[in-house]
Amino acid sequence: MAQWDRMGSKAPMTAHGPLWRILSGWNRNDRFLAAAAPDGGGRRRTREGHADVARVRTGVRVVGAVLAAVLGASLVGCSSTGGKRAEDRAKAAQAGRPAVSTPRWTFAMVTHAGDGDTFWDIVQKGAKEAAAKDNINFVYAHDDQAQQQAQFVQNAIDQKVDGIVVSLAKPEALKDVIGKAVKAGIPVITVNSGSAQSAEYGALTHIGQDEQIAGEAVGTELTKRGKKKAVCVLHEQGNVGHEQRCAGAKKTFGGTMENLYVEGTNMPSVQAAIQAKLQADPSVDAIVTLGAPFAPTAVKAKDAAGSKAEVDTFDLNESVARDLKSGALGFAVDQQPYLQGYEAIDLLWLYRYNANVLGGGRPVLTGPQIVTADEAGKLEEFIKRGSR
Amino acid sequence: MSTATAVDERLAPTSLVRRLLGRPELGAVVGAAAVFVFFSFAAPSFLQASSLSTILYSASTIGIMACPVALLMIGGEFDLSAGVMVTTSALVSAMFSYQMTANVWVGVGVSLLVTLAIGFFNGFMLTRTRLPSFIITLGTFLMLTGLNLGFTKLISGSVSTKTIADMEGFSSARALFASQWNVGSVTLKVTILWWLALVAVATWILLRTRAGNWIFAVGGGADAARATGVPVVKTRIGLYMGVALCAWISGQHILFSFDVVQSGEGVGNEFLYIIAAVIGGCLMTGGYGSAIGSAVGAFIFGMTSNGIVYAQWNPDWFKFFLGAMLLLATLLNAWVRKRAEAK
Amino acid sequence: MTKSVSPTPYEKSSAPALVQMTDVSKFYGNIRALQGVSLEVHAGEITCVLGDNGAGKSTLIKIIAGLHRHDAGRFEIEGEETVLANPRAALDHGIATVYQDLAVVPLMPVWRNFFLGSEPTKGRGPFRRLDVDFMRETTRAELLRMGIDLRDVDQPIGTLSGGERQCVAIARAVYFGAKVLVLDEPTAALGVKQSGVVLKYVAAARDAGLGVVLITHNPHHAYLVGDRFVLLKRGTMAGSHTRDSITLDELTRQMAGGSELDELSHELERVAESGPEHPSGAADPASGTTAL
Repeated sequence: MAQWDRMGSKAPMTAHGPLWRILSGWNRNDRFLAAAAPDGGGRRRTREGHADVARVRTGVRVVGAVLAAVLGASLVGCSSTGGKRAEDRAKAAQAGRPAVSTPRWTFAMVTHAGDGDTFWDIVQKGAKEAAAKDNINFVYAHDDQAQQQAQFVQNAIDQKVDGIVVSLAKPEALKDVIGKAVKAGIPVITVNSGSAQSAEYGALTHIGQDEQIAGEAVGTELTKRGKKKAVCVLHEQGNVGHEQRCAGAKKTFGGTMENLYVEGTNMPSVQAAIQAKLQADPSVDAIVTLGAPFAPTAVKAKDAAGSKAEVDTFDLNESVARDLKSGALGFAVDQQPYLQGYEAIDLLWLYRYNANVLGGGRPVLTGPQIVTADEAGKLEEFIKRGSR
Repeated sequence: MSTATAVDERLAPTSLVRRLLGRPELGAVVGAAAVFVFFSFAAPSFLQASSLSTILYSASTIGIMACPVALLMIGGEFDLSAGVMVTTSALVSAMFSYQMTANVWVGVGVSLLVTLAIGFFNGFMLTRTRLPSFIITLGTFLMLTGLNLGFTKLISGSVSTKTIADMEGFSSARALFASQWNVGSVTLKVTILWWLALVAVATWILLRTRAGNWIFAVGGGADAARATGVPVVKTRIGLYMGVALCAWISGQHILFSFDVVQSGEGVGNEFLYIIAAVIGGCLMTGGYGSAIGSAVGAFIFGMTSNGIVYAQWNPDWFKFFLGAMLLLATLLNAWVRKRAEAK
Repeated sequence: MTKSVSPTPYEKSSAPALVQMTDVSKFYGNIRALQGVSLEVHAGEITCVLGDNGAGKSTLIKIIAGLHRHDAGRFEIEGEETVLANPRAALDHGIATVYQDLAVVPLMPVWRNFFLGSEPTKGRGPFRRLDVDFMRETTRAELLRMGIDLRDVDQPIGTLSGGERQCVAIARAVYFGAKVLVLDEPTAALGVKQSGVVLKYVAAARDAGLGVVLITHNPHHAYLVGDRFVLLKRGTMAGSHTRDSITLDELTRQMAGGSELDELSHELERVAESGPEHPSGAADPASGTTAL
């Protein structure tokens, strides 16, 4: 935490350095035809050189002034609300020392998370904290393409790690490589998806539940709330996990449910597409987003389209908690990603240390849990620190 | 022989049709009209005023970037880092304000400097190394994608920024970058104004200033431009900084309209900007195109992406439509160029 | 710099040469591109630089145009030793170069090409804009003076014929007050008739008082209009003559060399009445003796 503090305060200084260098580079470039004349350039050249230097000095002075203004403003123009300082005030120091005396084992975790996925970010966080406590050297790799995921598992086997945690979004693609790991005597635990194949492939146990089951919980809840027509918003076309979530919801939902694909990397287009859907079909009374960051966007789209639909979502984050509390969101379904990461690592450690196995050959479920306005208040603090 | 034919041709009056055929936007305008008519019939809710405002919003978010990208393409270069640069700009703004607990406007200012520096870096590397812009900006694209994720996780501990909605200056910044007005049942977003203003300024620059002449020349024949004393290096760097400036506007819009920014956003959008510019009549090889065309291209994009939803079709086919449109636009442009270069 | 020269720089020999190069050399690494080349350009005269491919013509032109700097020798402009920093500096000295590619941008309208790099503006601050009407009018008028009547100055310059484009480039140089006009192979890609048209404009530029450097590998074209001839061969100067000291026959002989001479002889028949004369021994009062 202290390290982040330093980072923050140093940022403007480091920005100053390269900028300065780039500027002098610009000068060189500007002159680059004029430079390096063989001999005696004559009066004309000299004068040009002076002009260049003067021009650059002016440029440097201008940029210096702007930087000074920005730095000054950042000191004077402080925000008395929110921000890092508010977070610091609220945050208690956490020590991250191991609590056990076992040797330093290396556990690898390989998931099908895409870049910058919020859900998997929390899984990773749980795994890291368990690793810190259990004196584990934790290695993490992820790729949303199964082929690359299998490659990562193979890398882990090659490195002779002491345990592997893997998610099975496309079980068949990983079957061989998991078999190899088991054969090499490396304990494997599967997380999140793949509960049906886990035992068959030779994994010790499975933590978490399939996306399908989480989806089914949403369908049931929507039916309970008396919804008739729902839209499932998929923010990544071709993502197996997303398809499973929507398929699950569709299965248990009493009304009709349609899929809507949006470009998850382009927030304005997500909003426009949801808006368009609601305008095209005013009878939609529920929108389900598959990721926490898309829920507030769906709320905006709903407001802009003048629709009365209820917005519900998978997963949690700070703004989802806020919107749940304020009533802008109906409910969120949580699979406790922190638990999936934490338990996977901790169970590997238990197996190594004490040959303990949890679940008795059946998946250990971490959800789904329906979070509504009441629970959101309770969870807010944990969500804020990034562990829910 | 040459003078003789020239005199003969003079006798034929320049017809309006011929002049229209020479406009770079022509293909796009025809395409836009076709798409509009098509969806008017295919989707009942397409013609509602509220639907059109949704389409305009969608088009404006693409158009704000397509406009400088079009200028850059006229100048003969690409910028593959344009999409993630938008996200970088938003991230810098959000994280600086948050980490320094500074007024939101300070973060917005720092973000402007950082984004312009990235644009400068692109242009500088390009003119210095003389490597194709495809390679240079692909490098920047990958680096920025990594930096976005790396810095965000390092600084805020998760893959998205923390909300700055409760900080000072947020509401005034939101008014500038993400406000909206309700006119009856129609919601108009401020991005539409930014978009139209940018297109107007870009058109003015292109057609009525020296810089515009230089942009056409640098893209249409860099050697000829250099030989006639056009500051080629400065023009190119300026174009990249123009892209950066608009990336900043776009990034601030995303930040102030969605409060939080995810570090993985923006990837792939650079192609949408290029598609909009190409549909709008920009030649991939440079030297030809228009800012208005890019706006029409963005509008076509907005109509298509939302029209498919209004028509309640299976959206699996969306990318196919986009691809087909790009292909048609490119073919049309190739034909136009052939006509222009024919002797 | 020295823009306030004598109002009539056209009288031969009274003013210093517009451009004088003495023993100029250029190396690319250890490759000798040009060595010991001397050349002078006077107002109202045409200096032809002749040579085959790879003789160093383009290196010479790049030095005069300010694209490259020479490594040795003197380069004087109006009597003052100068090193040109870039093409802009050459233009500021009144040296305009028309390249083989003509330095025109094919997709741009004729009038934009005409003023490229030196666009006139009106208005102030953010409203400073191109003086479009003036640009269009001037382009039309200047081209008309050269005898080209364009239907539409808005048409892309790429739609003009090769000869017309060449003339636009020359007209542009003349309009922008060039004192020295450097023409790189203006007739290389043209047919007989169009070559004639272009040479007519070259002569017109000379008559307007410009000093012209005509780069060519065609001695016939050179001899039609040239006053001085500099022959280049593999980077060195193979000869330097004034018009009255050499015949076309001899010029062609020096250009082509032994075996190719016979093949060319039939072309020379109609102009060969003055009879052969040995060149290398001949006195050359203007340019001194040949180098190497």
